[in-house]
Amino acid sequence: MSELLEIENLSVRFPLRKSGGAFGAKTYLTAVDSVNFTVKKGETLAIVGESGSGKTTAALAIARLAAGETTGEVRLEGKDILPLSQDDLKAMRRKVQVIFQDPYSSLNPRQRAEDIVREPLDSLTDKTSAEKDVIVDELFAAVGLRPEQKRLFPHQFSGGQRQRIGIARALSTRPEVIICDEPVSALDVAVQAQILNLLRRLQADFGLTYLFISHDLGVVQHMCDSVAVMYMGKIVEHADRISLFANPSHPYTAALLSAVPSVDARRREETKRILIPGDPPDPLNMPPGCRFASRCPVAEARCSQIEPELKPVADGQSVACLLREKG
Amino acid sequence: MSDQATQAPVKAQSPQAPVKAQSPLSEAWDMFKHNHAAMLGLVLLVIIILGAVFGPYLYPGEPFEMVWAPFTPPGTDGYLLGTDYLGRDLLAQIIHGSRVTLIIGLSAAIVTVVIGVTIGALAGFYRGMVEEALMRFTEFFQVLPTLLFSMVIVALFGASLPMITLAIGIVSWTAVARITRSEFLRIRELEYVMASRASGASNAKLMFKVILPNALPPIIVQSALMVGSAILFEAGLSFLGLTDPNVISWGQIIGSNRQYILESSFTVTIPGLAIFITVLAISLVGDGLNDALNPKLRKR
Repeated sequence: MSELLEIENLSVRFPLRKSGGAFGAKTYLTAVDSVNFTVKKGETLAIVGESGSGKTTAALAIARLAAGETTGEVRLEGKDILPLSQDDLKAMRRKVQVIFQDPYSSLNPRQRAEDIVREPLDSLTDKTSAEKDVIVDELFAAVGLRPEQKRLFPHQFSGGQRQRIGIARALSTRPEVIICDEPVSALDVAVQAQILNLLRRLQADFGLTYLFISHDLGVVQHMCDSVAVMYMGKIVEHADRISLFANPSHPYTAALLSAVPSVDARRREETKRILIPGDPPDPLNMPPGCRFASRCPVAEARCSQIEPELKPVADGQSVACLLREKG
Repeated sequence: MSDQATQAPVKAQSPQAPVKAQSPLSEAWDMFKHNHAAMLGLVLLVIIILGAVFGPYLYPGEPFEMVWAPFTPPGTDGYLLGTDYLGRDLLAQIIHGSRVTLIIGLSAAIVTVVIGVTIGALAGFYRGMVEEALMRFTEFFQVLPTLLFSMVIVALFGASLPMITLAIGIVSWTAVARITRSEFLRIRELEYVMASRASGASNAKLMFKVILPNALPPIIVQSALMVGSAILFEAGLSFLGLTDPNVISWGQIIGSNRQYILESSFTVTIPGLAIFITVLAISLVGDGLNDALNPKLRKR
């Protein structure tokens, strides 16, 4: 299968003003730092990481929605979308849609459900009103909402129903890629399962490619073909799902996996929790060398001097760690 | 949607009792209806507006005509509210004056909203240098002494009704601009704005179709209260004599009778009461709107 989405050296930085007021020198907070990855058509790539690791910013930058200064290349079907002008963006937006994290704030409270789902059609396509009606009806059925709910307002829906509206909206232009920005983290567990199963079914029905942002490794294991682990704006490990969960190569990944609670008593005893002490480094004053060095349980002296690069260690598994480098 | 909490989450999909599509607006009206003070204000306001529109036909008296002896107390000789220092019918003056007073109050509030919303929306949406420049401009108007500034405008450009309206609007738009800006700052960060952007909405559409409708509640409340303060402002200007002498307004009645406040206080008290009741009614309605449109207070 071909690479649908190729991300090369993607960086996002936010200008910050120092206390000197309007004339003070600018400093930058680099939220995403030279990130590389690819997503194959029809697959799901998960980006996991803790809060502030830059995973959402990276995803929004790919949808051209990040507020900061974005550099690098984001190629969709071989075409770089970052330099596109406002007019050319429309074609790209038809192909890349987003499902947002919080269904309580991602729906405009003054729009009816059908108008919310219709909005991308209105802004991005030239379809006639009748064609749009048909599409909206189909989408309501596809995401499991009843036709008579079309006229309701967002506050009249439950959280899971709201997220279904958000999914219908993302599907309306028949996109290639859907960026799911923690689509279930605001929902309770039973509803999470329904929404995840819906997303999987829609992926099969519509041939969708997902970029799935999450911090919940259980959800990731259920949903994804491959996983990229981010820490402080960098990808520290990129592997297919089975390799990553069976054999985490980066100490940070190992620590993350060990933190997943298990109901299985035997597994619980087998996997010793790896604690990572301390706080992440100050993003405004990033230390040299490996960003995880200060909290890493197996760090050596060279780790805080040399910055590791993402290098393949096995088939379908790359890691940015000096200790895993061969030779 | 209170049944949601009791419903098992697994059944979230199962058909519920059909819910009526209730827009946020009709919900606000429900809320407003149950607010007694606000309804009292609304009833008073409707009476005042009806009086202003139909009064001159029901009570055909000339406000500028001398009809009886000066300072006739209210209720004597068939003059319900008495006569002023020139022997003019006070009731006719109040009825005719209500038109001017309400029109000035309303149009000054409109001027205020148009200037304030435009500046506040641009500042809140674009941030950066645009915001910096527009907010300094707003602060410049905020530090000017309002009454003095409007007096200067009226004195320079003549005391016609449009000029008085404009003067009141120019000195009082800053509050609306600040409220609009703060609402825009809050709403532009919400996910549904980003969702609209992802759906291909242009900046103009985001500003006026997505953010502005959601920013409206506090702006509506502020502009309702602005009508009241514009009426007070106009009364203040007329009291100081800065008014069109050919058009009667409540403030003007007070202003022209002010020398006789000790001998026959009713000539000042009655138009004063009219202003008081009108502004009170508007404030009650504004307060009720605030409660009804503020989602945090709903269902409490």
